Amino acid sequence: MIGIETEYGIYVEGKGAQDLVVEATHLVKLCPPPVATGWDYSREHPRRDVRGFTVDHLSVDPHDAQFEQTGRPHSTDIEVRSDRVLPSGARLYNDHGHPEFSTPECTTLRELIASDRAGERVMQACAERRMNRMGGGLVALYKNNTDFHGSSYGTHESFLIQRSLPFDQLLEGILPFFTTRQIFAGAGKVGTEHAGGTTASDKIPFQLSQRADFFSTIASVDTLYNRPIVNTRDEPHADARRYRRFHVICGDANLCEMSTLLKVGTTLLVLRLLETGWRVPQGIQLRDPVAAIKQISQDQSFRWQAERFGGGLIGAVEIQRAYLAAAKEKLTGLSDETDTVLVEWEQVLNRLEADPMSLSDTLDWAAKRTLLEEFREAEKLEWSDPTLISLDLEYHNVDPEAGLYYGLEQEGRVRRFVTDDEIAAAVTHPPAGSPRAQVRGLAVSKFAEAVKSVTWSRLTLDDGSGQTAVIKMSQVQDLDPAAVAATLGTTATPAEFVAALTNLERSSGTAAAIDTVDADTDTDDD
Amino acid sequence: MSNMMTFDDRLTRPMPTVDPIRKQGDGDGPSKPDVKRPESRNILDRMKRVDPNQAKRYRQRSGQ
Repeated sequence: MIGIETEYGIYVEGKGAQDLVVEATHLVKLCPPPVATGWDYSREHPRRDVRGFTVDHLSVDPHDAQFEQTGRPHSTDIEVRSDRVLPSGARLYNDHGHPEFSTPECTTLRELIASDRAGERVMQACAERRMNRMGGGLVALYKNNTDFHGSSYGTHESFLIQRSLPFDQLLEGILPFFTTRQIFAGAGKVGTEHAGGTTASDKIPFQLSQRADFFSTIASVDTLYNRPIVNTRDEPHADARRYRRFHVICGDANLCEMSTLLKVGTTLLVLRLLETGWRVPQGIQLRDPVAAIKQISQDQSFRWQAERFGGGLIGAVEIQRAYLAAAKEKLTGLSDETDTVLVEWEQVLNRLEADPMSLSDTLDWAAKRTLLEEFREAEKLEWSDPTLISLDLEYHNVDPEAGLYYGLEQEGRVRRFVTDDEIAAAVTHPPAGSPRAQVRGLAVSKFAEAVKSVTWSRLTLDDGSGQTAVIKMSQVQDLDPAAVAATLGTTATPAEFVAALTNLERSSGTAAAIDTVDADTDTDDD
Repeated sequence: MSNMMTFDDRLTRPMPTVDPIRKQGDGDGPSKPDVKRPESRNILDRMKRVDPNQAKRYRQRSGQ
């Protein structure tokens, strides 16, 4: 089970950073219906660490704290956060001044990419409603990760993994991979970012990653400040005895569908490898991953080398090839998508060695760099010209009439993995292979008013007969998704919905997915 | 202390730590790569319409 959550950048003409909590609230409240509300924060545990402890508080950015001194309502208020649950099973809310779109739980890469791109459509629809209904000038939304003034915001991936995989083994195995996957997963950025601004020069005109400048430690539960390459948050949103949700915060927001395919697909395969007990070879461990992730991102030679643990240099492509070789040996034939990822992974590594810029139809960083080089040549600009930073930003604009990525797509210059029809369907329909998303999405599309509270792991539905049904997603997870869609899709009332799901779980022989106890008394761990 | 999330988890508080992003300069780097430049008339027109000062005005809250 996989998912992507993206904090969008938001620009509202005439407004400053101090206004963005209010503006993001306006925006998510304008999400087109049907939507359900009532997100239950009492079941979230962002301070719980997989290493077996809970921190008192999470670190925050002191630079950002100035915006909390304005006397305005801040994002601690549930009304300000304004969670919306969509008929696709996705979640939209105001996260700290950013409208955040979380895809529903997906079971295939095709579903995930369609859902991630559906998020762009939902966000643009909100922006257009904001402009039409409230006026006040341009509202633009950016699927990126930086404001070029030192503030970053995230695009996170979630992978359901076996809890039996020891964390130390996971950390050891994933670090060289995360440090180097930016060679195909990076979204690209003009220059380097520092206190209050971005500097682009002939030495470092452009780097691979939007996020690399912002990592300062290897592993931590923090996400807002002192960001780690590996986030240790322990919030499974599933059966905690069996699973962890590996919450990945080191990735960039991708527009290119092939970049997303490679970013998520290769990570999924590496996690599957580690679950088999495979151990990463000593020869590809890095001496200082935090320094290496920056060094690789900024390397203009395209050799992307970093210091190996024990001495000497090693290239990012060589490290990726070690993972690829193990994945080909152990995972080939696991599924059609597995084989697709293995083929694409090998081809992109070959091209990164032979001719990196030939990947301008495949990878975000190469597409963006090629565009900027074209413009620089046409307009006779130096890399230090601030216009290029504005163009970098506009690459990520999700308005199809303005965004530069969208311009490339409209000209047929980027490879696609899903169709526009699949993306449009993912706006309003849950992914077909995901029973959890089916239950949540169908409940919203059919009976939004009856949804009393929602979390990723449960949904509370007023069945209209004086009873409240708590549906546990950890039990729904094992149902046949086609049967869930067919059975629940024909129900006409919340009571029928609950009864149909109850019958389905009985006929499937799964554990009870529905309780009629009051949610407040239910102490099951999520 | 409860393990559950409180709304305070989303508050911004100053911390006496240093973010590397706020102390970095340009540093050194290798020479620029050889980059191919395919034709793209329409998108170049779209790029010319971009306000050169848009990024200067673009300020965001720090997120996750």
